[in-house]
Amino acid sequence: MFRRQVSLLVGILVVAVAATALTLFWGNKPLLGLDLQGGVSVRLTATEPATEEMLDQSVEIIRNRIDALGVAEPEISRTADGVMVSLPGVDDQERALELVGTTAELRFRPVCEVLPVTIVGTRGSAGSGNMTADPFASCSLVRGGIVRPATGDDGLTPPEADLAEDFVILGGSGTGSTGGYRYVLGPTVLTGDALEDADADFIDFRWQVGVTLKKGAEGIEAFNDASARCFRGDESCPLLPGYTNGLIAIVLDGEVITAPQIRAPAFERDRIIISGSFEKQGAEDVALALRYGALPVELVAENTRVVSATIGQDSLDAGIVAGLVGLLLVALFIVGYYRLLGLVALASLAISGSLLWAIVAHLGTQSGLALTLAGITGIIVAVGVSVDSNVVYFEHLKEDIRDGRTARSTVDRAFPIAFSTIVKADTASLIGAVLLWWLTVGAVRGFAFYLGLATILDLVATYFFMGPMVRVLARTSLFAHRPGLFGLPASGAVVRPDNKPVTA
Amino acid sequence: MIGVLRGLYAGETVIDFPRWWRVAAVASGIALLLSFGSFGLRGLELGIDFAGGTSYEVAAPDASIADARSLLRRFDADGARIQVVDGDTIRIRSDIDDPVRAAEIRDALTAELGPVETFEQVGPTWGDEVTDKAVRALVVFFLVVALYIGVRLEWKMAAGALVAVAHDIVVSVGVYSLLGVEVTPATVIAFLTIMGYSLYDTIVVYDKVRQMTGRLGATERYTYNELMNLALNRVAMRSINTSVTSALPVVSLLVIGSMALGATALREFALALLVGIVVGSYSSLFIAAAIVAHLKEREQRWIQIRSKLAGRGLLEGPTRIIGRAEASVPDSRSSESSDRVKGPARRRPVPTARPAGSGSGALPRPRKKRRN
Repeated sequence: MFRRQVSLLVGILVVAVAATALTLFWGNKPLLGLDLQGGVSVRLTATEPATEEMLDQSVEIIRNRIDALGVAEPEISRTADGVMVSLPGVDDQERALELVGTTAELRFRPVCEVLPVTIVGTRGSAGSGNMTADPFASCSLVRGGIVRPATGDDGLTPPEADLAEDFVILGGSGTGSTGGYRYVLGPTVLTGDALEDADADFIDFRWQVGVTLKKGAEGIEAFNDASARCFRGDESCPLLPGYTNGLIAIVLDGEVITAPQIRAPAFERDRIIISGSFEKQGAEDVALALRYGALPVELVAENTRVVSATIGQDSLDAGIVAGLVGLLLVALFIVGYYRLLGLVALASLAISGSLLWAIVAHLGTQSGLALTLAGITGIIVAVGVSVDSNVVYFEHLKEDIRDGRTARSTVDRAFPIAFSTIVKADTASLIGAVLLWWLTVGAVRGFAFYLGLATILDLVATYFFMGPMVRVLARTSLFAHRPGLFGLPASGAVVRPDNKPVTA
Repeated sequence: MIGVLRGLYAGETVIDFPRWWRVAAVASGIALLLSFGSFGLRGLELGIDFAGGTSYEVAAPDASIADARSLLRRFDADGARIQVVDGDTIRIRSDIDDPVRAAEIRDALTAELGPVETFEQVGPTWGDEVTDKAVRALVVFFLVVALYIGVRLEWKMAAGALVAVAHDIVVSVGVYSLLGVEVTPATVIAFLTIMGYSLYDTIVVYDKVRQMTGRLGATERYTYNELMNLALNRVAMRSINTSVTSALPVVSLLVIGSMALGATALREFALALLVGIVVGSYSSLFIAAAIVAHLKEREQRWIQIRSKLAGRGLLEGPTRIIGRAEASVPDSRSSESSDRVKGPARRRPVPTARPAGSGSGALPRPRKKRRN
């Protein structure tokens, strides 16, 4: 019996210490939600009914755009009817909102020059001479240095300077065959509006992308206008070394998706095949990008929330200070009231607290689960519930001792009864937490999660630490002779009607 | 008051709960009437998360409300509510739900008044969605918890607990309505916390009641009310302690939320919680308990006991106090004659002391003969 209590105690202490040590060792830190460190969250909804596939595609595209911002833990997820984007700690909030909201345009640009990736350390330039050139401006302008596209340190035109009518320098998309080059591109000759459809086809034992253009001046005719120039190697779409014809780059979100050679002066039919060394996946990606332009569905910002870093910091500070002061007050009260038993209660709180910290930090680092203000409140509320578990047991002890039991015997007897009460009450809390987590959205969910977690840890700490600890203490002679030190009444206070003490 | 606390601390039966129930019923009735009245007349001040719209908090120590209003007028949005919070922050709430216009105003505020610290824009349909989900969650929650209490404790207790929780929610909403505090998602969380807390407290109280009625009820010497009174007096100190320990962190939230800048949300939240904790403890002892006592006294078994005791003239005057000596009848009886509960709880006997093997201190208790 006694050995079991001791092994439970040692077990929980080892677990708590190990959890804390591992958390420190791995450097896990709780991930703060955007109300605590500032940031941007946007809930986008589709303007028309969208399939899951379309929304998943949107999530991917938005994720790619956001990656450029360097947000530590972007959370981009599909909802029932749209996309939820949460960017805690994002510095450039304006830009984030723009990137998420705008629908980028698919652009067809003639290729003036293909350059290798720039050497590290290149300085950016502000650019000059880009005077809103007409669609088929001569590439000699840029090759001769009359026009210098604006570039960043990576030698590429930054998104804000990537204007449809300008000469630009853009990189290939990392995944496709265009990766690893920089393309000097002429003004846009055609946009995604000209496209009817695009799909991946397996033709002649190779994966190819079939593109269908719209009929008439806005579609196939405009394309043929460009293809005629590129086929013969016009100034606006010159022949490049190693190629027999000019190239047209298809650009999306500032990246060259593909840059096919134009192998015919004019396309009679409205269907064009882009052949190349595509893998199946690559062909499908290109087709998808062409088909949908930027995003497969139009998304509008339904909810937007921006919290500045200062406000986040203020809230975090207030939460932490309030938590610490609250804990201190609770500690004073509980120790003042229950003396040594109060210390046990505090130690129990410390154990569940260290486990909670370890779990929150682990989830924050590994699964990107953020701790929000709502979560902190859930935890503060749980402190009250945890302390109550101790109070229930201690009051039960006092009651039993007044009923005439010895302090030592009642410790064993009262624990199962008190624990059953605690389990009943905690189960009701847990039911609430699970249902709330399951059935609601947003802040309430975060609250429910942390309330539930803290409730479970309360049960763990009560069963594995508080109960055994009190039983071990009960074996000390201090417990039998100085019950006052434990906040307990002297035993045998009750006198039977026949005036014989019960415990006699 | 001090005397009562000292009595409770010493584990004496010092409060005549059944008598106070009548007072409580009147008090709660008035509170409920006030709440419903205020809710009906004034309604709730719904935040933008429920009503849709846009809110800004601008750090602008030098700007006045008039400055903000004239800026908004240019955007045809001077119907907005504008407040100065903490002296240096201007809080604006308007019903604009067009993202483009909202963003234009944000840019103008940044350019002319100061940095926009928080910006929130909510579409018109979102609030309905959230409200629907919350209401559905609430209904399911009530059903499941009622089921749980019914199975684990007693069905009549399930009824009592739900009435008590509903009482707490109505009163809390009433306070919100009366004070005109804005309802935000944080408020919803506060209400849910109040609910959870109230329920938790009620279950702890009920469990004590069951321990008492199971053990002493079998003697058929006391009415349910008297047993309930004993249980409530014994659990009252726990309720007070728990309320204090739960309230302390909340009070510190309240105080620190009042001092810290920009943490106004925290302050309102803490206020709701504090009201909820006090009301929740009250309702467990005075509403939930009263309802169960009322329902149980109508059971055949308790009517019989009552009429038997009344025939002996024992039930006149205030509620009889069950002395400690009588109350501490050995538990062994309870496992024989069982508490009158249906369901799984019955199969689990109330744990009793182990006569032997529980350490050196446990002496077998003398078995008392029943004196009839």
